[in-house]
Amino acid sequence: MNCQSGKQIISLAALLAGLLVASQAVAQQDAPEDTPVVESFSASQFAERIPEGVPDDAEQVVNGAEFLNLYTGPGRGYVIDHVVEYGERLWLLKRRTDWVKVMTRTGKTGWTKISDLDEIFAVEGEQVTVPTPGIDDYRDQGFRLGFAYGDFAGANSLGVSLGYRFTGNISAELRATQTIGAYSDSQTYQVALLHQPFPQWRLSPYFMLGTGVNITSPNATIVATEDRQDTTMLTGIGVTTYLSRRFALRAEVANHYLLTSRENNQEIVEWKLGFDVFM
Amino acid sequence: MEIGIRRIHVTLACALSIAGLSSVSLAQGDAVIDEIISPDLERREIREAKIDSEDFEVTAYLGGIMNVEDFGSNALYGGSLAYHINEDFFMEAAYGETTLGESSYERLSGSAPLLTDEERELSMYNLSLAWNFLPGEIFIFDKWALNSNLYLIGGVGNTSFADEEHFTYNVGVGVRMLAQDWLALRLDVRDHIFEHEIFGEPVTTNNLSAQLGVSIYF
Repeated sequence: MNCQSGKQIISLAALLAGLLVASQAVAQQDAPEDTPVVESFSASQFAERIPEGVPDDAEQVVNGAEFLNLYTGPGRGYVIDHVVEYGERLWLLKRRTDWVKVMTRTGKTGWTKISDLDEIFAVEGEQVTVPTPGIDDYRDQGFRLGFAYGDFAGANSLGVSLGYRFTGNISAELRATQTIGAYSDSQTYQVALLHQPFPQWRLSPYFMLGTGVNITSPNATIVATEDRQDTTMLTGIGVTTYLSRRFALRAEVANHYLLTSRENNQEIVEWKLGFDVFM
Repeated sequence: MEIGIRRIHVTLACALSIAGLSSVSLAQGDAVIDEIISPDLERREIREAKIDSEDFEVTAYLGGIMNVEDFGSNALYGGSLAYHINEDFFMEAAYGETTLGESSYERLSGSAPLLTDEERELSMYNLSLAWNFLPGEIFIFDKWALNSNLYLIGGVGNTSFADEEHFTYNVGVGVRMLAQDWLALRLDVRDHIFEHEIFGEPVTTNNLSAQLGVSIYF
């Protein structure tokens, strides 16, 4: 018994010693990587050469990743025809969707994924990121653009909306909708305020309050009547869900309360399905 | 018995480590206060790059033709504005105008025309979502290799003619060829599907259009 426990202690000690040595070895390996890429030996090997045709406003950075693939176009299917080395300088020219066009020190241009550009540094040594809009920014201010298809009390509707988020919870929206029905067509223009209590949820609900105008034109073939223009009050609830970083599906039911000049006010329920894109 | 011995070992180890930690923390007490008073942490500075984005694309139709069922084919004028969401999808708002010709009924019967000239003016707009499902390259002789996209597109819209609005679905396919990063040539073929009642009863019509456009990214 005692003998066995003695063995255990020895093996434990050996294991601890082994771990200590290993961690020291790792620490020693890490040491050279602590020098910033800008001051690294590799970076000093590349001459400070500025290619011809680089725009004045292009940002100059140093690649701190082991290598960086350059594609011929802004898409994963295009060919990789150049590789930027560790420590090499490059110039950021422009961004399209999730891709950045860069120029290398030899004047070669190509496209690289923003997600691959996570280790780039300014010449002074500070790290640089390329801004991308999307789900991570749900607390930040920003614009969104949406298209929607709906059912407006039996009529087909198509809508476009431009939203601006003030905080993670509150956003405002400009909305325009054209509806086309069997008996009448209408156009609605609204301003709405949206409250999203749980923006971090995968399926995030929102509440909406708004106001606007509704221009209704009855179909001329049935009765020759004039267009009417009514002020509307808008209330609604909906839900959004992100499909990708910049793309969210959205379903909504809204109640349009038309303040008409006739005896009774009119209530219209609208169901909508659409998508929002974060810009 | 063995379990008992193990337990003793574990308690011993725990006690030792706690003692060790507490002595370290006691010794570091002053150092910690120093750090709080004069932080010597190296901040990791991260800055956003100043970079232009080029996600919008405006297109003008250089030439187009639209066939409105029963009313012949006529030239189509218009354009579109697209926003590229990612490498796979873009959304587009488009506008087009054409005129309706004479229907075969009007030509054959010789009776009074069904529509006035003004009613023959057709305008339409639509909101669509497109999928770049075959990105690739197009080779012109052995000199140029141009980036290209074949996309599927579909959406909803409104077609207005004969004093009526018609809710319209559109589906189509297009090809885009990029001469430069910011300049492209597009060829679109669309089917605009809507219902009208000009001949008395409702009929669903398929109206094809083909348009060649030049587009600029900005």
